[in-house]
Amino acid sequence: MRIGILTGGGDVPGLNASIKAATNRAVGDGHEVVGIRRGWAGLLELDPGDPETVRTHTVALDPDVVRTIDRTGGTILHTSRTNPAKVRASDEPDFLKAGRVDDEARDHTPHVMKVLDHLGIDALIPIGGDDTLSFALRLHDEGVPVVAVPKTMDNDVHGTDYCIGFSTAVTRTVIFIHQLRTSAGSHERLAVVEVFGRYSGETSLVSAYLSGMDRAIISEVPFDVEKLATFLMDDKRKNPSRYAMTTISEGAHFVGGEMVMGGNADAYGHRKLGGIGAQTGEALKEITGEGIIYQQIGYLMRSGQPDSLDLMVAINYAVMAADLLLEGTHGRLVALRNGSYVNVPLEVVRQGVKRADVDALYDVDEYRPKIRHVDGKPMFLY
Amino acid sequence: MRLGVLTGGGDCPGLNAVIRAVVRRGIRAHGMEFVGIQDGWRGLLDDATQPLGIAETTGILPRGGTILGSSGANPYRFEDGPAKVVATLERHGLDGLVAIGGEGTLGAAARLAEEGLKVVGVPKTIDNDVGGTDVTVGFHTAVQVATDAIDRLHSTAESHDRVMLVEVMGRNAGWIAVYAGMAGGADAILIPEQPFDLDAGCDHLRHRHASRSSFSIVVVAEGAVPKEGTLELPEPPVDENGFPRLGGVAYQLAPEIEKRTGFQTRVTILGHVQRGGSPVAFDRVLGTRFGIAAADLAAAGGWGRMVARKAQDIGDVTLAEAVAQRNLLPPELYREAEVFFG
Repeated sequence: MRIGILTGGGDVPGLNASIKAATNRAVGDGHEVVGIRRGWAGLLELDPGDPETVRTHTVALDPDVVRTIDRTGGTILHTSRTNPAKVRASDEPDFLKAGRVDDEARDHTPHVMKVLDHLGIDALIPIGGDDTLSFALRLHDEGVPVVAVPKTMDNDVHGTDYCIGFSTAVTRTVIFIHQLRTSAGSHERLAVVEVFGRYSGETSLVSAYLSGMDRAIISEVPFDVEKLATFLMDDKRKNPSRYAMTTISEGAHFVGGEMVMGGNADAYGHRKLGGIGAQTGEALKEITGEGIIYQQIGYLMRSGQPDSLDLMVAINYAVMAADLLLEGTHGRLVALRNGSYVNVPLEVVRQGVKRADVDALYDVDEYRPKIRHVDGKPMFLY
Repeated sequence: MRLGVLTGGGDCPGLNAVIRAVVRRGIRAHGMEFVGIQDGWRGLLDDATQPLGIAETTGILPRGGTILGSSGANPYRFEDGPAKVVATLERHGLDGLVAIGGEGTLGAAARLAEEGLKVVGVPKTIDNDVGGTDVTVGFHTAVQVATDAIDRLHSTAESHDRVMLVEVMGRNAGWIAVYAGMAGGADAILIPEQPFDLDAGCDHLRHRHASRSSFSIVVVAEGAVPKEGTLELPEPPVDENGFPRLGGVAYQLAPEIEKRTGFQTRVTILGHVQRGGSPVAFDRVLGTRFGIAAADLAAAGGWGRMVARKAQDIGDVTLAEAVAQRNLLPPELYREAEVFFG
């Protein structure tokens, strides 16, 4: 069997460990593994009539090639957010444009099927989040044998309790929070720590829980900044070191407000016009008159080496995905449920959205984690 | 002799090492007594002090921040500020002051010294921009934090074939940017001292991406400025002390780089994590040695002076000199270490 493997969406630590484990598992049983570069873009931009594009978009993987890759973060295959079922003209390779003038999104699934056939790929292991896996599902519908591996540091792929990258993101955030304490304490300030997590607030919630933050603002629960200010001032008063800290998801929003997306906004103004963390910091400063530390953790949550839990899950997911394909099972998503490794129908990724379990883990009145009844819960609490 | 100790300006890792060393050395070698001044000069303006002895400085060496608290308060910006400072020192029977700080704190110390205040200074700032010394407490920890971040960001930049702009602190000086950039293998470094030409920089990036690599790491000091006439950037707002509030220049440069190169460009601003957390070994040793020297300086009546370290240059020697004799630890340095034994 010839197995293709690719990584899509944002990079997370652990992808290389997955690539290595799947390769070793499959090659060990006498199969071939082809790495597809830059996610689905590698298949979209590959022209079967042009051998050069085959060379630049694929890489043969064997135990020698993958021997040392698990020691670093990111993905040796590189990644993209391309979805071949919805390709705008600007993302279309010239050989597929065929004289088109409009910018409507076009479906190039048939081209991808042709490319897979040309490469002689019998089965695919795509590693990605919601978007990447939605096209995996599309290929499954077209009859391509697929076993998918969920990754996202937000931990928001529906159908699994755990996605590769989440543990490292939380580990890093906890470390940075503790580093910021000395500055916040020395200057007796209020600190707002903004974390990635657009729709799911789990990174904010769990990091706050594990680091003992005073408050946590999460994407799922709109917050009243006046109330947050009152809480933080109270927290500061009670802290012998006279400071208070809150985490905030980048996707959080004020009560009655829209989600605020920061970005490459005009800079010195970005403190005001930027992300929700900057806006919250400004508002807290105005309400309380206190000095504010605003810190985005951002890319540092997902850059660099995986922690041991992400290694554990990345390797096991990949071994399981290869196992399934080699035994002839496909159309599955490898997953963790209630602390156990399982495989579930790939369809689950479009049957819902995964968000932080607010009822079980969060106090919506106090704006902080509330975790009770741990007895019997799986290791990650969900 | 009774001394007050204060830490002013932005906190940085290694301050506690200085405080601990001043106190231990002062008590053990010179029979001094100490009073901790809270929150920099503000503690002298408002008479806010805390006990400071062996017990208070036990176990603080690896801790970041400062046990005394800090502020940017400047006595010369308060009515009768200098007089209040003197009055507080007298009220507590203090014979002198150890001021640990950066250019703001030491600037006030220099003026007060001219007016007769007995003060010795210890230079600290992660920016490393205090004159008269080649290195300040906190700098090397900030460089380590920034270097670690640059190392890690390589994996994300490479996975996405992107340009990653890493903004580090450095208001007037490019020390952190250049040290962390050199240590982390940055592909370009933008600093305040060398106004940059973005077009030329983007040519480098294009060349690199065309020939060798699909990603780049660019380190930007927060105070970096474009060459005159090459790029218009809005003026930063000013804070309550009239200093420009920097931070965010990377956000302005990212779209400009994307526009010029077509490469996706993302921003990471390291911000306060550079000065938080536990000091690296270098800053603990530097802080400790500065602390010992400051206590000795005060004991010798070296008021109006700052402890300093000179060790920047790379030189060369003959190979014969290098092998003629081993480089052994100087006995004076061992005696400094002995201050903390037992």
